[in-house]
Amino acid sequence: MGNKSVRVIAGAMVVAGWAGYAAAQSASEIKIVLPEQPANFEPCGTIITNVGQILSRNVVEPLTIIDPKSGQPTPGLATEWKQTDPNTWQLKLREGVKFQDGAAFDAEAVKFSIERMTGGKLTCSNIAKFGDAKLTVTPLDELTVEIKSDKPQPILPTLLSVVMIVSPNTPADKAVNDPVGTGPFKLSSFTPQTVVLEAFDGYWGEKPAIAKASYVWRPESSIRAAMVETGEADLTPSIAIQDATNPETDFAYLNSETTAIRIDAGFAPLDDVRIRKALNLAIDWDGLAQLFGEDVQRASQMVVTGINGHDDKLAPWTFDAEKARALIAEAKAAGVPVDTEIELIGRNGIYPNGTEAMEAMMAMWQDVGLNVKLTMLDVNDWLRYLQKPFPESRGPNLLQMMHDNNKGDAAFTIPIFYTSAGSYSTFNDAALDKEVADAMAATGEDRTAKFKAIFAKVHDDLAVDIPMFHMIGYTRVGSRLEWKPDITTNSEIPLANIALKD
Amino acid sequence: MLGYIGRRAYHSVISVIGLLTLVFFLTRLTGDPSALYLPLDSSLEARQAFARLNGLDQPIYVQFFQYLQNLMSLDFGQSPRQNRSAIEVALEAFPATLKLALVAMSLATVLAIVVGALAAARPGSLFDRIAGLVSLAGASTPDFWIAIVGILVFAVGLGMLPTSGTGTALHWIMPIAVLMLRPFGLLVQVVRGTMISALASPFIKTAHAKGMKRRKIIFGHALRNSLLPVITVAGDLATGLINGAVVVETIFGWPGIGKLMIDSIIQRDFAVVQSTILVTAIAIFIVNIAIDLLYAVLDPRIRY
Repeated sequence: MGNKSVRVIAGAMVVAGWAGYAAAQSASEIKIVLPEQPANFEPCGTIITNVGQILSRNVVEPLTIIDPKSGQPTPGLATEWKQTDPNTWQLKLREGVKFQDGAAFDAEAVKFSIERMTGGKLTCSNIAKFGDAKLTVTPLDELTVEIKSDKPQPILPTLLSVVMIVSPNTPADKAVNDPVGTGPFKLSSFTPQTVVLEAFDGYWGEKPAIAKASYVWRPESSIRAAMVETGEADLTPSIAIQDATNPETDFAYLNSETTAIRIDAGFAPLDDVRIRKALNLAIDWDGLAQLFGEDVQRASQMVVTGINGHDDKLAPWTFDAEKARALIAEAKAAGVPVDTEIELIGRNGIYPNGTEAMEAMMAMWQDVGLNVKLTMLDVNDWLRYLQKPFPESRGPNLLQMMHDNNKGDAAFTIPIFYTSAGSYSTFNDAALDKEVADAMAATGEDRTAKFKAIFAKVHDDLAVDIPMFHMIGYTRVGSRLEWKPDITTNSEIPLANIALKD
Repeated sequence: MLGYIGRRAYHSVISVIGLLTLVFFLTRLTGDPSALYLPLDSSLEARQAFARLNGLDQPIYVQFFQYLQNLMSLDFGQSPRQNRSAIEVALEAFPATLKLALVAMSLATVLAIVVGALAAARPGSLFDRIAGLVSLAGASTPDFWIAIVGILVFAVGLGMLPTSGTGTALHWIMPIAVLMLRPFGLLVQVVRGTMISALASPFIKTAHAKGMKRRKIIFGHALRNSLLPVITVAGDLATGLINGAVVVETIFGWPGIGKLMIDSIIQRDFAVVQSTILVTAIAIFIVNIAIDLLYAVLDPRIRY
């Protein structure tokens, strides 16, 4: 083969490659780039970010949808609901809904989906939100279903927002990667490179503006931001603050995550409330906030605004090093061993600048006279300290954490953090346990007030933890799209809500 | 020759079994995967159900014998993370890495041989000094940095290449360029060093004395005699690439086995870790046998 032939072939390859690369996608097709590859597409795992962002409300739909502003359940595949006794709810289902495989959506389909989720024959992440509740589902007629629980479930409609309804033709005893739901899009393909969703013509609701959406994944934030900038992609959630440099395309949003330090109250000197308060007072919060960006919000509790039980009036701790020193001195005079080494346990990569935040906080605590030493762990080791049973060899420790609650109710936060039996709790207080139990059984305004009272108590009186910040996410949205992220963006990106600019 | 290949294959099978046994126990020493698979607020009951579903509630020796029994029937296990056969997941990812490694290593080796040989022909010349500088930079610059700068310059700045992904010929350019930099840098230095020694050998002086053309002496005589150490180093580098160019695959969104292996280790997806190691170990053994056979082709004194 002569040099000329080689040159011609090489040239043709490049031109062909260029043509493929530059081929414009149709106006109603979009490409979304996510930080992580979804490992599977089991609809019972939509609370996992990378699964939910593709499937939730696109391919599969829940019975109820949480309003991002009020935190209240709104109609999804269920249009109305009522509690007939403390353990029983009746739901009316939406008419005229078909699954993407042609099966009818009815009370039997709801029973099938809930029993598939609770049956224990497949790994179901979403069921975690139900705790240990046992549900019995009975179809009353074609579009009415009754759900009984073994103990009162005052927020069952909220819990039902994680129940994704799947076609009755879905295998009940094994996880799947080809979900069939009632959503406006059906799964067209799922390969190691991409996932493609295509509009479902038989959708019960309004026809979406998007006809086809392709998803790809790149872990590197700067690459994802560049892809939207160059027009290779139209949308990417969760870019790092340093990549959110274009005010026209980059939107900040409260992402429902709260950062905090858990104080292990089982060991001296952390079993003394004066020391726990001193830990909160010793932090220069304005200085620390510089690591998190100017949009970040100081936290006084472990849930964000919009979650039932959040109290806007509960003020965060302010920086007062002198008061912190005074409290430590007072504790020391009372015999508390304030010089004991306290281990600050951080988790590598937990959030941007997470290590730097721990280093800064350690220095600030040392500055007021506490003997704090930082240990950074990878997630596997860190989990041992987060969840019970805690390592027996541990001593007094402070644990870096991040908690995500976008499910509308403090019930997903308070019991695990603050009750004696809570899986993250190091605190043992029978009076607090009773208050939490009362709040969990309450409804309406009474429930809200009781949750607020608990947040106030653990913050002001008991100081069981160190709430840091409500975190901000940044999403880059390409110029073709009309869409803004909100608190639910970490768990779902409903394509039907995306409009195309002319 | 066939006998040699048979003996190597036999030893390789024993090594692979040993490796898989080691990996089986090492992965299980990392702890309970349910902490990573299930949400943090999962109940104890859910964790126990997960362990039961995946056979993790059995004593480790029972799990091991079950694993060996399954291996006999070529059942490499299910990936609880991906809901499908672990070996299928590994085999799906492997060709992407193999293609990338093959192209990058071939280009790096050919280019390094030409540049190294020319640099050795005139030690101390301007070309030699530039080649030395470029190869040193190539061998020592972190690939993640080169990859990100490459994307900023060629994709974002100039708009000539796609940032990442697969699909067209242009998608290959940056991953290959980044992947070949280190092997190229190292091989140039190896080729140059061995060539300088070869060019000082008596048989080269004889060739000169006979009036043979310089180009033929360099590429025909000296190079052939310098290739054995080059092949050894290139083989090592190639096995490294087959084992997974994790950084390049991660940054460029290349669906290869390197990233799969790392993700599976982090997620404690034991079945996929075992399958990726099985696939790459077999590939590495094949490469090593091929290199040994290449020795015999290049040096007739070597017999198997």
